[in-house]
Amino acid sequence: MTNARPADETPPNRGGERVRRAFLPSNVDPTVFDEGFLRQLERLLLLMKRPVRGGLKGGRRSVKRGQSVEFADYRDYSLGDDLRQLDWNVYARLERLFVKLFVEEEDVTVTFVIDGSASMAAGRPSKLLFAKRAAAALGYIALASEDRVAVTVLGGRVARRQPPLRGSGRVFRLLSSLSAIDVAPGTTDLVAAARHAAAQLGGRGVVVLISDLLDPAADRVIRELAATSSELVVLHVLSPDELDPTLEGDLRLVDAESGDGIDVTVDLATLDAYRTRLAAWQAAFADLAAKRRASYVSVPSDLPLVELVFAELRRHRVLG
Amino acid sequence: MPFATPLALLGLLFVPLVVAMYLLKLRRDRTVVPSTLLWSRLVTDVEANAPWQKLRRSLLLLLQLLLVVILALLAARPFLERPAGLARDIVLIVDASASMAATDVAPNRMAVAHDAAIAALRDLPSGGTVSVIAAGQTARVVASGSSDLGRIRQAVTSIRPVPSAGDLDDALGLADALAARSGDAEVLVATDAALGEQPTARVDAPVRVLQVGRERRNQAIVALAIRTARSGLTKSAFISVANLDIERAEPRLEVYGDGVLLDSRDLSLDAQARADVVVDDITQGGEFPEPDVIEVRLVPREETGRPDQLATDDRAWAVVPDDEPRQVLLVSDGDPYLETALSYLPNVELYGRTPAEYATTTGLDQFELVIFEGFVPATLPATAVLAIAPPRTSALGEVRGTLREPGIGTLAPDEPVLRYVDLSTTHIAVARQLVLPDWARTVIPGPANAPLLYAGERDGQRTAVLAFEPRQSDLPLQVAFPILLANLTGELLGGSGAPTEAAAPGDPITLPVPAGATGLRVERPDGTSVELAPGTLGGTALTFSQTDQLGVYTVTPVGLPDATASPRDTGSRSPTPTPGGGASPSGGASPSNSSSATPAAGGDDPSAPIRFAVDLFDVAESNIAPGSAAALTALGGGPAASPGASGSAATAPRAERPPARDELWVPIVLLVLLGLSIEWAVYQRDALTLLWRRLGARIRGRPAGGG
Repeated sequence: MTNARPADETPPNRGGERVRRAFLPSNVDPTVFDEGFLRQLERLLLLMKRPVRGGLKGGRRSVKRGQSVEFADYRDYSLGDDLRQLDWNVYARLERLFVKLFVEEEDVTVTFVIDGSASMAAGRPSKLLFAKRAAAALGYIALASEDRVAVTVLGGRVARRQPPLRGSGRVFRLLSSLSAIDVAPGTTDLVAAARHAAAQLGGRGVVVLISDLLDPAADRVIRELAATSSELVVLHVLSPDELDPTLEGDLRLVDAESGDGIDVTVDLATLDAYRTRLAAWQAAFADLAAKRRASYVSVPSDLPLVELVFAELRRHRVLG
Repeated sequence: MPFATPLALLGLLFVPLVVAMYLLKLRRDRTVVPSTLLWSRLVTDVEANAPWQKLRRSLLLLLQLLLVVILALLAARPFLERPAGLARDIVLIVDASASMAATDVAPNRMAVAHDAAIAALRDLPSGGTVSVIAAGQTARVVASGSSDLGRIRQAVTSIRPVPSAGDLDDALGLADALAARSGDAEVLVATDAALGEQPTARVDAPVRVLQVGRERRNQAIVALAIRTARSGLTKSAFISVANLDIERAEPRLEVYGDGVLLDSRDLSLDAQARADVVVDDITQGGEFPEPDVIEVRLVPREETGRPDQLATDDRAWAVVPDDEPRQVLLVSDGDPYLETALSYLPNVELYGRTPAEYATTTGLDQFELVIFEGFVPATLPATAVLAIAPPRTSALGEVRGTLREPGIGTLAPDEPVLRYVDLSTTHIAVARQLVLPDWARTVIPGPANAPLLYAGERDGQRTAVLAFEPRQSDLPLQVAFPILLANLTGELLGGSGAPTEAAAPGDPITLPVPAGATGLRVERPDGTSVELAPGTLGGTALTFSQTDQLGVYTVTPVGLPDATASPRDTGSRSPTPTPGGGASPSGGASPSNSSSATPAAGGDDPSAPIRFAVDLFDVAESNIAPGSAAALTALGGGPAASPGASGSAATAPRAERPPARDELWVPIVLLVLLGLSIEWAVYQRDALTLLWRRLGARIRGRPAGGG
C-alpha cells in the first residue's frame, strides 16, 4: 500500500481524532491494540471509501429468498406455500401457479473462530496477536457495515463463544473481547473444539477461522466448519520462522503443545524438503477449501493489516 | 609397495578411534518449535539416529577415515625403486664465478644450475652421499658427505655467484680428494664452462658436466684508472670497455664523480672489440670540489634499450689519487738517463745537486726522497734514500768490492718493485758487491748472495740500494728502466706517488694503521662495517681480506685519542713532512704488500679515511660465452669419461649400487589436500549451495528465493 502511513505518524485530522488512546477502555489490552493499531483501523475505514458496501461479501451473497422488496426469481407453487406470494398476473396469462421470490435482507453474523492452541503463541509477532488484530480489523469493518460480529475461541476441546455485537459503537467491546483471548494451556483438540463451535453457529453468516492449523486433523476442522450454513473463510496464519525456518545442525525439536521431541539434522536439503512439504500442506488446505466452497488465505504473521485487508483478502474475493 | 618407515602404519589404529569419537559425538541442541507436525512427516533422519545407520550415511566420516588412512600412508613413506643413475658418492661442484650471474637464461645461470644440480641428484642411489663445493674465488666445501637431500638442496641453493673469477681448478682438485675417499664416486660440475683458463686438474672419478647458459651478449668495463695530467692540475679517467659479444653493441658510458654525473658517452663497439675512453678534467675545474671517487657505469641506450646479460662488470670504481708533487733531490755528477727517467715520473719535482754541492745544500728535510748516485754522504738525511752504486760502506750497507758483468739471479714473481719489469735481456757491466743488511730484502739478486738491488726500512726511513749505475748497463735502453724507477720511487715515496689501482675481488689488502690507533673500521660497499685490530700491539699494518664485494671500501682508524690532534706528537713513526704540504700516507704500506692496490689516503691527517676500490676487470670472466663441457668431462676418469671401458675400478661397484628411491609423498600430500578440500566442501555444502543460488539469482537479475 503506497498510501498507507506509518503507525507512528500523526493521522489525518478528521479520521484520526475519532479514536484516541484516551478513549481506550481499561479492558482493552494496549499491547495488542495500541494507538498505532487504532489509527490503522481508522485509515482502513477511510481508505474503503464506501465502508458499508465494502463489508464482508459472504453476507451479501446469501441465497436465501425471503420477504423484501427486491424481486429475485419465480418458482412453481407447492403445497403449503404462502398464497400471498402467488403471482396472479402470471396465473392469468399462463394458468399456472408461480410463487414470486424476493431477496431476503437478513442480519448477517460474522463469527471469528480464533485458534487458541499453544502453538498460536509462537512466532514474532505471535500468530495469536496477528489473529486478534486481523479479527479486530475485519470485525471493525463488519460492525461498520451494520453486521453482527461474534468471537469464538477454540481451546482444549471446546469453543468459547462470546455474545455477538452489533453497531459500530461496539468496537471497543470487540477489542476488549479480543484482548481477553489467551492461549489454552495443554493440548488442544482442534477438531473437537471446531465441532463445538460449529454447533454454536446459528443461522447463516460468515465464519472466519484464524488458525495455524498445526493439527494432524486440521482438514477435519475445515470440513466441520464448512458443513455449517455459514460461509467459511480460513485465514491460515504461520509465523515467518515456520514459513522459512532458520534452524541448522543437529537438533532435538520439542513440540510446544505436547512436549514431544524429535531429532533432526537440519541442513539445506532438509530445509528444502520442509518448504516443499509446507507448500504441499498449504495446497491441500486450499484444495479442500475450494471443494467446500470456502475461501482459504495463507498469511504470515508479520503481514501488515493494510496489506491483509486490501491485498490478500481482496485478491481471494473475501472482501468486496 | 615398500615403505621406508612401515611402523608408521600403526597410525591406522586411529580409524576405530575416529569411528568411536563419531559415535559419541552426536549431541543435539534442544529447540522448542510451535509444532513438530511438519518436521515429523518429512524427516527420515529420525531413523538415522540409530548409530550404525548414522555412520552409513555420513560422508564426512568416510572422508575423515580416508584422510586418516592417507596420513598413515604418508607417514610410512611409501616409495618406488628404480636403477640409480649416479654413483654412491657424489661430489657436486657449483661454479660460483661472476659469469654465473648472467641472465641469458631465466632468472640467471646460477638459479638454473641449482635446479639442474638438484634434478640430477634425484638419481642418487638410496643411502648415497653428496658433497657440495662452491667454486668461487677459492673452492669452498659447503656440504660434506651428507645423505640428507634437504640439507644438500639448502646448501646448493645457498651458493651465490661472487663478483670474481672462479677457481674451478682448485675445486676439481678438492673434488678429486673427496672422491678418492670413496670406492664409487662421481663428480658433477654445474657450470657455464665460461672459463678464461681451462682447468688442468685431473680427477680419477668420472666427471659429468651440467652445463648452463646459452648466449654471450655482454659488454664490460675492463679497466679504469685515474691519472694526473703532466701539468699536475687536472686528472683524467682512462676507461677501457670491451664488447665480448659477437654482435655490434652500442652502450652508453656514464661517469660519476661522488655520485654526480660528470660525463656521458655513447659508445659503438664492434664485435669482440675494445674501446678506450679518456674523460679529461674530471675535477671539473675550480667550481666543484675534486671528487674522491669516480664511478663508471655501462648502461643500455634508450633507443637500443637492450641491456647486456651480465650486470656485474657494468660498473667500476676508482679512487682519485691524491697526487701532490713530490720533491726529489738527485745528488749525482750528472746521469742523463737517470735525470730523464726521473723527470718523466708523474708528480715528481726533480732537483739536482752535485756531490760537492750537497754539503752546502739547505732544507734537506723538505725533500721526500734523496737519490745518491756514486756518492754517500757522511750523514744520511732523515728521509727516504735511494743509493745507486754506493762507493763505500755506510749505514746503507756494506760494500765489499766490485763485480764484473754480474748475472741476474732468479727474480721473485710477486716482488712489487719488479712489477711489469722485464730484466731478462739486461746486462750489467760493473756493479758494487753489496752485502744484504738485516733490515732489507733482496729485490734483484746477483751472484754469490750479493744483491744487485735491495730495499727495506732503515731506522724508520725507506731505503733502497742499487748496486750499479744505470749507465754501466744496458738497462736505460730498455722499457724496464722507467718502470723499475717508477716502482722504486713509488715504494720509497710511500705509495701515493704511484697511480691508484683497483684491487681484484677477494684479494687481501694491507692497510696502514695510523700511530695511536687501536684498529681500523672498514666500511664495505653494502654499508656493513668490519672492525680490525692488529695482531700485535702497536702493529703498523693490517691485512683485510673481505674484499668480495665490488665497490669502494672506506677505512677509518679506530681509537685515535683525538682525531684533530697532530699525529706527529703521538706516534713514534711520524709522517715525513713534505715541502708542498702534500699528502703522504702514514708509512704503513709495507714493501711486501702483495696487493695490487694502493689505498688512497685523505691527506696527512691520520684520522682521515682511506678509500680503495675493488673492481672485477677480468676480461676472461666477462666473456660469458658458454665453453666446452667436453673439455671438463675429459678431466675425469672412469666410465663416464670413457663409456666403452670395462673392468675399470669405477665400474666394479656399479652393479652393487642400491637403487634410487622415489618417495611418493607428493601425490599423497596432494591427495590429502584434495581430501581436506572435499571434506571442507561437504561440511560447508549448505553455505556453498546458498552462495551458488544467490549467485545464480543475481546473474538472472532477480533476488534469491530463500524458501
